[in-house]
Amino acid sequence: MGRARDIRLAYLLLAPALLLLLTALAYPVGWEVWTSLTDLSPVNDHPTSFVGLDNYRRLSGDPAFWRAAANTVAYAALTSAVKLALGLGLALLLARPFRGRALVFLAIFLPWAYPASVSVIGWYWTLSPPIPTAYSVFMGNMKYAVDGALGGGAWAFVSVTLFNIWRGSSFIGIFLLAGINAVPPELFECAALESKSAWRRFWLVTVPLLKPFLALAVFLALTTAFADLANVWMLTAGRIVYPVLGTHAYWLAIHGGQFGPASALSLTLAPFLLAVLFVLFRMFDPPDQERA
Amino acid sequence: MLIERRWKKWVFFYIPLTIFVLGTLFPFYWMLVTAIRPDAELYRSWRAVNNAPFWTVQPTLEHFRDLMEKTTFPRWLWNTFFIAVISTGISLACGLLAGYALARLKFPMAGALGTSIFVTYLVPPTLLFIPLADIIRDLQLGNTPWALILTYPTFLIPFSTWLLMGYFKTIPKELEECARIDGATRFGAMTRIIFPIAVPGILSAGIFAFTLSWNEFIYALIFLSSPERKTVPVGVVSELIRGDIYFWGQLMAGALLGSIPVALVYSFFVEYYVTGLTGSVKG
Amino acid sequence: MAQVMMKDLNKKYDEVHAVKDVNLHIRDKEFVVLVGPSGCGKSTTLRMVAGLEEITAGEISIGDRIVNDLPPKDRDIAMVFQNYALYPHMTVYDNMAFGLKMRKFPKTEIAKRVGEAAEILGIQELLKRKPRQLSGGQRQRVAVGRAIVRHPQVFLFDEPLSNLDAKLRVQMRVELKRLHDRLETTAIYVTHDQVEAMTLGDRVVVMKDGWIQQVGEPLELYGHPANRFVAGFIGSPSMNFVEMTVADANGALWADTPGLRVKVPPASAARLGPYKGQRVTLGIRPEDLRVATGADAADYSFDTVVEVVEPLGSEILLDLKAGPNVIVARVDPTVRAKHQDKMRLSLHPERVHFFDNKTELAI
Ligand SMILES: Nc1ncnc2c1ncn2[C@@H]1O[C@H](COP(=O)(O)OP(=O)(O)OP(=O)(O)O)[C@@H](O)[C@H]1O
Ligand SMILES: [Mg+2]
Repeated sequence: MGRARDIRLAYLLLAPALLLLLTALAYPVGWEVWTSLTDLSPVNDHPTSFVGLDNYRRLSGDPAFWRAAANTVAYAALTSAVKLALGLGLALLLARPFRGRALVFLAIFLPWAYPASVSVIGWYWTLSPPIPTAYSVFMGNMKYAVDGALGGGAWAFVSVTLFNIWRGSSFIGIFLLAGINAVPPELFECAALESKSAWRRFWLVTVPLLKPFLALAVFLALTTAFADLANVWMLTAGRIVYPVLGTHAYWLAIHGGQFGPASALSLTLAPFLLAVLFVLFRMFDPPDQERA
Repeated sequence: MLIERRWKKWVFFYIPLTIFVLGTLFPFYWMLVTAIRPDAELYRSWRAVNNAPFWTVQPTLEHFRDLMEKTTFPRWLWNTFFIAVISTGISLACGLLAGYALARLKFPMAGALGTSIFVTYLVPPTLLFIPLADIIRDLQLGNTPWALILTYPTFLIPFSTWLLMGYFKTIPKELEECARIDGATRFGAMTRIIFPIAVPGILSAGIFAFTLSWNEFIYALIFLSSPERKTVPVGVVSELIRGDIYFWGQLMAGALLGSIPVALVYSFFVEYYVTGLTGSVKG
Repeated sequence: MAQVMMKDLNKKYDEVHAVKDVNLHIRDKEFVVLVGPSGCGKSTTLRMVAGLEEITAGEISIGDRIVNDLPPKDRDIAMVFQNYALYPHMTVYDNMAFGLKMRKFPKTEIAKRVGEAAEILGIQELLKRKPRQLSGGQRQRVAVGRAIVRHPQVFLFDEPLSNLDAKLRVQMRVELKRLHDRLETTAIYVTHDQVEAMTLGDRVVVMKDGWIQQVGEPLELYGHPANRFVAGFIGSPSMNFVEMTVADANGALWADTPGLRVKVPPASAARLGPYKGQRVTLGIRPEDLRVATGADAADYSFDTVVEVVEPLGSEILLDLKAGPNVIVARVDPTVRAKHQDKMRLSLHPERVHFFDNKTELAI
């Protein structure tokens, strides 16, 4: 039967991908859920025991956790909003062909294509230079001004936010540009005939047409920021002036060896992610939906 | 009228675009300036005479030389390359097959499987690194490249599957129908007709995957410990920063050199990359 | 070369029943055209013959093999698609050779067959080009060439001409006909253009909503449509339909409606007998109407008012009103008429059709 053959082929083709994902993803997630209910630790001298929801209970009473959570939310919301605005602007700028467009593409791809851990050092060097450097006085003054106005750790927060925006907004821009290219140009031309005001056109035509892409872009921006650990870690040089959930978990697991509490901490991200995912899937059809 | 147009074009196009490009490139410029600046100039006070923070008066390659000779940087380059190529290869192969199945074959649960593969792309390493660290320890793969080659596909496969599925959907299905009538099996039509046509999509997925694995930091930081086993992103920050001592010149030199392969790949394939990306999302 | 049989063929998609109980016997060497409005199931039927769509119920055989479970590659058919489906990464030569290569023909045989086909179609100069370097008409020829090099048992065409401009379409139509006369390979051809269907087909199959409406030679469909749908679909401009009441007067049957009253021609009178006092639909083709002269019988003539005049050069199309009824007539180019002119028309008594109002079948 043709159909039976197709189905067999389909599963055969999917098998390698699913197998790898299952072993390297599903199993770890299961492991993590289980571990979050135990006191597993490589430094334990007593056998691992099941502690139920203790790890979670302890977290909810820990002000440091709530501070990290608040930091995470602020960081994610702020960077996503700015990246989306900048990215959309960039996409609109690049929507038309012009001379040297490939070069511009190259330039704005670079931040994303560069290893973050490396470019983050560039930023660290720029924003928090060591004392005897040429412009350290200037940057130091900036830091005191910002920290003074907004409270301790604000300068670090600003640095990480700036870095995240720098690295992410051009990617969002190119992603949205793909969306613009996918919309039939007649729709935009038609809109140009109907409304003279570019501003109205933007809100009434461009934004609705791009909605699925915007939703996905928001999601990408939010999840990467929620889950961010490397950037924050690097840019504050491991001195956690203001912790986010990721760095908190890293510290607990890798340095403290407390796998149980660290797992619980990591898993608190899951509700955030699921909530965003849920909203996103309501806003547009899942990506596998075939277009007629 | 014409004058007004030109004025508008400057305000709404050239100026914002220039700001964008300058903003994205400035940190790289800053890295370059630092990398070729002799230490004497690097650590000079703000008020010193002929202080020129924005350019280097006496450029030097000493940091690059130190990097190549005094550190295991060449090893890092090779390690990163090796890991990136193999994990990209594995992920691309899996992604090609899975993406084709999801785009073209009708089978029960196609939608559910497609969505779940997509969702796994969004599971962040922050959730995974603890259990993976435990697994790698159990498999005794710690401090070997295989630890990374096995873990990178967790984010590379979903991503390349998704991108390639989109690209396959933009290829008219009559092409492979015709091939099947002409005497090819499904599998034959896929490898002889669809894959050759999908080269831009495959290339851009490959570039993407290569970049992601070249840049990966967290897993590499956790799974690799001895200096000569490290990858560039980890090696640069863990070996060139000792406690509170930053070898700034070498750091910047390493940052520049370590990313040259990626930058080259991008500049060669930028057109492909853009069409691959736009073509695939069109589906 | 082979015959193609379809027995009680059905295709159901999730919600759509696309093809319903199709029974069709296509004889060896025959050129059969499937025609019908968009969405009537023509392509689906063709794709089931090709093996690209699974058969929900029924049976298809090619030659004397039942092919239901055979993959497309083993059915020994060739297909030309509406968008040509040329492989963009191969030259014209490689496109045409692909099917032969897949079947492991020797190189010399491949070169010979491609050469022959290219000569027949006049595309020898194009063999080294890639498909994107060709015009629409050239692509079309290459697609046909790719089908004929294989010498298959059956050709399948799915609207192969609809992406061409009007002039080229007419030209290619003639060439396809010539090609079939020369190769004599059984062919199934799908189109929604009834002119193509009439000019190309040895027999024409009219479909609607997944059902076959009528199968017949072109002139048979034209002269004796089985139902109102076929009558309206075949012929351009399409047949005029007027709902009328059958009435008995002076010992003869008359069809009557406000503004229009004609005698039922003797040939139809017997069949219309049972409809006395009921409503039926009268159908008359525009070309079977003409301006009445003194010689025409008054029983078959009626008065109209000219609404629109469309001169086409070789003929004139008149939109007329007989009372509230709109009627199109195709008349001699010498007729002088203008808006609001009064005009008496006469219909050809042997070419009047009557249709049952409920079943829509011809009476
Ligand atoms: N893959 C599919 N899934 C669901 N329904 C389909 C599918 N393909 C076709 N159909 C439906 O089956 C019916 C017949 O389609 P088909 O393509 O055979 O029409 P067609 O006669 O070829 O029309 P056209 O002249 O527009 O090509 C249509 O109602 C169509 O919507
Ligand atoms: Mg069709």
